[in-house]
Amino acid sequence: MTLLSDASGPEPATPSTYVDDAFYQLLRDDLVEWNAPGAVPDDRQPLETFLLHEAWLLDQGRYEDWFGLLTDDCLYWVPASPDPGDPQTSVTIACDDRRRLGDRIGWLRTAKAWAQIPPSRTSHLLGAPVEVPTAVAGERKLRSSVIVHETRPGTPPRALAGWCGHVLRTDDGALRIVRKIVVLTDADHGHRNLSFLL
Amino acid sequence: MRSSPADLVQPHRVHRTLYTDPDLFTDEMTRLFGGSWTFLAHESEVPRPNDYVRKRLGLRPVIVTRDRHGEIHALVNRCTHRGATVCRTDAGNAASFTCPYHGWTFANTGRLTGVPLPKAYGPGLDRGSLGLGRIRVESYRGFVFGTLNPDQAGLVDHLGPAAGVLDQWIDRAPGRTVHVRHGAHRMVYHGNWKLAYDNSADGYHPGFSHRSLLSMRQQRYGAGVDMQYVLADVDAGAQTVSDLGNGNTFLDQRGEIPEYWPQAAPSPGREAYEQQIRQKYGPDAGPFLEAAVGSGMNLNLFPNLLIIGNQIQVIEPLAIDRTQLTWYATSADGTPDEITAIRMRLQEDFPSFGEPDDLANFEECQTGLGVPEMEWVLTDRHLTTERETTGPDGVVTGPVSDELPIRAFWRRWVELMTADLKLAVS
Repeated sequence: MTLLSDASGPEPATPSTYVDDAFYQLLRDDLVEWNAPGAVPDDRQPLETFLLHEAWLLDQGRYEDWFGLLTDDCLYWVPASPDPGDPQTSVTIACDDRRRLGDRIGWLRTAKAWAQIPPSRTSHLLGAPVEVPTAVAGERKLRSSVIVHETRPGTPPRALAGWCGHVLRTDDGALRIVRKIVVLTDADHGHRNLSFLL
Repeated sequence: MRSSPADLVQPHRVHRTLYTDPDLFTDEMTRLFGGSWTFLAHESEVPRPNDYVRKRLGLRPVIVTRDRHGEIHALVNRCTHRGATVCRTDAGNAASFTCPYHGWTFANTGRLTGVPLPKAYGPGLDRGSLGLGRIRVESYRGFVFGTLNPDQAGLVDHLGPAAGVLDQWIDRAPGRTVHVRHGAHRMVYHGNWKLAYDNSADGYHPGFSHRSLLSMRQQRYGAGVDMQYVLADVDAGAQTVSDLGNGNTFLDQRGEIPEYWPQAAPSPGREAYEQQIRQKYGPDAGPFLEAAVGSGMNLNLFPNLLIIGNQIQVIEPLAIDRTQLTWYATSADGTPDEITAIRMRLQEDFPSFGEPDDLANFEECQTGLGVPEMEWVLTDRHLTTERETTGPDGVVTGPVSDELPIRAFWRRWVELMTADLKLAVS
């Protein structure tokens, strides 16, 4: 990953208005829907291609390209417990709207985020995704097991495991990520330096 | 030949082995964490009768309970039969605990209430002396502290001026109570626990350690957002540090914060909730929004409680060179749900973009402190500049990059490490 001194992020920060009571209700509804039995979708090929591409961009440190896969009303959510609870009333490891994701990428690119100098090297291993039903028109939900293998100098490599849920939508003919949740099996344990994107 | 603790602490520097000597660590875990009042839990973590949470006092496993009459207890989580822990879950509601090993049962007040097959003990089983070890507890405005020192003066006396600062922090909430039941974010660093307390009232480091956060804010939001006042000559600014006595210290940023809400870090939900609050609450909206933002106070209660912004951070030593920091989120009584929603997202900000850089620096300190030939750690900023003042309550205050709080910590450290302590459960 190239370290720049440019902390301005993948796009300028603009007012963010979509996180409100209705949005939090959507997140609570998401958790209910994630819990349904899933099935491997008939059109798995383009969906898996997309998820594997997302993993590749993250592992290559191409954070700006990854940001380009997200919708304007996106959310990146890493709960602080394997039972995610209600994000409206509980703190998380990450609960970023598009603007705060831009903050996060800008922070990583400053060349002064000591926690990520040098950058972590990751390898995302995804289990085959299953699709769960959703009541939200235009959205599709894919749930998969994930292991993020991470190395940093001076510390043994580690494997962060759990499940991830991708809410996808087709915008202008292209698949995009609307909401992504990463639920680690050890979400409520102490983590050393979890400052990279999962 | 091992130096005594007092030799390792000099007025202007301390010895590196204070951070690296496992024998010292073992002594610290009993003397500092238990020798005087040590933070255990907040009462809002056990709101209902028979609620309990598992905590640690140093390395000792502890259960903090609220009994059916509402009284708080701190019990050593260790069966008096053969030493197993009796409580195996982090939180719950139970009137008693039954040891999974041989079935001994203890009420949540600690009293031994059940011993299977007791005839084997003959007539001599003294149940009264076989309750769970009890830790002396006192609360101050919801903050529960414990000690194993029967001679320790009462909590309010011990807190001294720190109680008034804690009052100011709590009273920012319109309902004058905070709630600690909104989850926690736990971070681990491979370094000694004292590196965190060293940093807790360190006004010198932010412009450098948190350069990444400050650059990001500057480039994305311009000047005046989220503590950019740390980039100036901080000693010419309005922040201060104070020694509150007994190792308690305070870094006060409030002089640089004329109004909280406008300079708050942007967070998810800010726009929608501000609009909703102003629509619904009229003249109360302004004060509500002010209470949403971090306090600008860093109040540190020796040895393990760091009140940072709006959050409670507890230092949990695991080993000489491994420490867990638990960041508990809080809400403020007397504020609407919209404020809680703002607070949750705001309270993720510094743990995401600030703390990791400090922890990286702590780990690198631990590496450097392993070099035997470089023995000393400097603690002498503003030791000779005569810029400290003493208030009517005896509180010494200095410019914000003064290492006064670090020196105050070490004075208390020496006191407790060399005191003739007779620690005991009751």
